[in-house]
Amino acid sequence: MKKDSGNTTPESKPFWFSLDNAAKIFPAIITKEVTSVFRLSVVLKQPVKMDVLHKAVLQTEERFPYYLVQLKQGFFWYYLEQLPRHIPITADERPYCRQFRKGELLLRILVRKNCVSLEGSHVLTDGSGAFAFLRTILLFYLQALGLSFPEGELPHTLGEVVSAEEYEDAYKRYFKDDIPPMVKRSKAFHLPFPLNSKPRFRQSTVILSMSQMKQAAKEKGVSITIYLVAVYLHTLQEIHNNLGGLSRLKKCRRLRVQVPINLRKIFPSKTMRNFSLFVMPEIDLRLGQYSFDEIIKTVYHQMQLESDEKLINKNIARNVSGEKNRVVRGIPLFLKSLILRMKYYSLGTSQYSGVITNLGKVDLPDETLEFADHLVVIPPPPNKMLKLNCGVIGFGDKLVLSFGNITRSNEFEERFLLFLTTQHISVEPETKTDQP
Amino acid sequence: MTTCPNCGVELNENANFCSLCGEPLLHHQSGNAEWIQSRKVVQEKKLRSEYQRLTRFQKRMIFWEISGLILLSGSLITFLIDLIGNESITWSKYPVTVSLALLINITLLTFWHKKSSRWLSLSFLTSSLLIILLDIYGGGTGWGMHLGIPLLLAAYITLFGLILMVRRARQKGLNIVAYSLITVGLLSVCTDGIISLYVVHRLHFNWSPIVLIATVMIAGLLLYMHYRMKKVTDLKRFFHI
Repeated sequence: MKKDSGNTTPESKPFWFSLDNAAKIFPAIITKEVTSVFRLSVVLKQPVKMDVLHKAVLQTEERFPYYLVQLKQGFFWYYLEQLPRHIPITADERPYCRQFRKGELLLRILVRKNCVSLEGSHVLTDGSGAFAFLRTILLFYLQALGLSFPEGELPHTLGEVVSAEEYEDAYKRYFKDDIPPMVKRSKAFHLPFPLNSKPRFRQSTVILSMSQMKQAAKEKGVSITIYLVAVYLHTLQEIHNNLGGLSRLKKCRRLRVQVPINLRKIFPSKTMRNFSLFVMPEIDLRLGQYSFDEIIKTVYHQMQLESDEKLINKNIARNVSGEKNRVVRGIPLFLKSLILRMKYYSLGTSQYSGVITNLGKVDLPDETLEFADHLVVIPPPPNKMLKLNCGVIGFGDKLVLSFGNITRSNEFEERFLLFLTTQHISVEPETKTDQP
Repeated sequence: MTTCPNCGVELNENANFCSLCGEPLLHHQSGNAEWIQSRKVVQEKKLRSEYQRLTRFQKRMIFWEISGLILLSGSLITFLIDLIGNESITWSKYPVTVSLALLINITLLTFWHKKSSRWLSLSFLTSSLLIILLDIYGGGTGWGMHLGIPLLLAAYITLFGLILMVRRARQKGLNIVAYSLITVGLLSVCTDGIISLYVVHRLHFNWSPIVLIATVMIAGLLLYMHYRMKKVTDLKRFFHI
C-alpha cells in the first residue's frame, strides 16, 4: 500500500481507510430512494440453519476485517472507520436495498426460509467483492454441514495476515500519469414511464436456462453479456419507436447501455473494494432502425474496443486524476459533495439509457450445486432519470435476471422477456416460495 | 431441528425463540396447523398496522383539521352570542381575532413545517397584525406599534436562531438546553431595552444583564460538559486530503 494514502492496516486498531476512487461519488448522491445498496442472494434447496449460518458469518467476518467499517465525514473527504460490531443477521421482511444509516456497518445479512441475502453499500465494495464475501459464508456454512471442498477452494485460510492488496484502492495502483482525459459524451434516451409513489423501488426476478441462453449466444457468435446488452438495446429501440410523435421528437435518439466491467479480470488485482469501470455500447437511431443482428454486431465491436486495456487506462486516468488534483482535494467536503452530485447527473446518468450488470457464471465449487438452487443479484435502485436497471448472475444451469424498476410500467420487462422467448429461450418467473 | 413458523428457517431442537425473527416456538403446538395459521394472522396484522401507521404529516393534518374546526366553530358561536345579546359586535371581536391568528399560525406550521424561515416570517406578520388590531380595539394608544411589534420581532428572531442551532446540532443533548438558556438571556436583554425605550424613551438596561450573564455562564458549563464527552476525533483522519 502506498504511504501517501494515509491508511492504517486492519491489524492496528482502530483502523481507517480513505474511500476508493469509485466510491467517492456515492456518499454525495445517496438518498432514501437512491441508496447505492445492492443485494446478492443465494437460494438454497433446504431451509437455512440459523446456528450454522451464525457461525459461518462470524468465521467470514474474521477473514474480512476491512469490511467491518462505517462511513464517516472528514473535512475534505468521507472515510471508512472501523466499527467493532458483528454484521447484523436479520429476518428479510423489509424493502430491498434499504439505505445504511449513520453509525451502521455497510453490510447486512438477511435471511428468509431457504434464502440468504447479503446487502452491501457501493461505498464499501462492488458486486465482485461482495460476492467473494458471500461465497466464503456459503462455503463455511456448507463445510459445517459436512461438505468438503478440494484444496484451495476456501480461498482465504484463517489465521494468516490479510494482504494489504485486498483493501487497497486498486485504481491508484493501476493509474498512469499523463494520459489525456476522456471526451464528454452526448445525452442519451431515457425511459418515458411515470414514476411509482414512494417507496418507489420494486424488483422482479426471472430464471432462464443457461444452456438455452448459451446456445442462443453461440449461434450469434457472442458472449451472453453481449447478447443480453443487445436485447436491452433492442427493447429500448422498440420503446422509442412506440412513443407518440411529439415525445419521440423531444427524446434523444441515442440509446446507450452502461455495462460495468470487472477490472480484476483485466488487471491482476486482489482488491476486495470497488474495482470496476463501465463500457457504454450505443446505437444511434438518427442513422435508422437496427435489426437485432445489427445491434449484436455493433455491440460486439464496441465492447471489444472499449474493454481494451489502454482505453480502460484512459478511463481510470480520467477518474483518478480528478481525485489527485490538489485544487480538488482542497475543496471542503460539503462543496465537493454538491459538485459531485451535479456532475453525477450531468456527466453520469444523462449519458446512458440503462444499466445491465452481469456477474457472469459465478465461481463456486461443483459440490455446492447439490445444496444451492440459484443466485440473484439486485443492482442498486436506479435513480429518477434512469428508472430501470438489470442484474444478471448465473449458477449451474440457471441464469437469473433481476429487474429493478421505480416506474409504474412493466413494459420494458415484458418486451425484454417476450423477445427472449421468441429466440427460444424459456423464461420462468421466480416462484414466491424461493423469492429472496 | 425445528422450523420457525414465521420466517421458515431451521433452528436448534431446544430453542424457545427464533434467533432470526424472535418468534416464540411452542414445540408441543408446532404441529398444530391451526396455531401456525393464527400466528401468521397475528404477524400479518402486526405488519399491516405498521404499514398503516400514520406519517408525521398526516398527524399534523389531523391536528390542523381538529383545531380548525374548534377555532372556527368557537369563533362563530361567540360572534353570534355577542350579536344576538348586544345587537352589535362588542367583546366577541377579541376571541374571533385571536382565534383567526391562531388558526393561521397552525396552518403555516402544518404545511410549511420544514421551511422554518417561511412560516416564521408569515407567522410574524399575522401576529403583528393581531397586536395592531388589539391596540385599535383598545382605543389605539399606539402600544402595538411601539412596544408590541418590537417585542414580537425580538422573540421571533431569537426563536429562529434557536431553531437553526437545534437543527444544526448533530448530537442533541445538553447543548440544546444551553442554546435555549442563551436564547432566554438574549430575549431578556431585548425585552429590557425595548421596554426602557417605550417607557423612558432611552436605551437603558436594568435587570437583563444579570440574566444574560447567569444564563451564559450556565450554558457555557453545559456546553463544556456536552462536548468534553464527545470522542476526540483523530485530526489526521478528519483532515485527510
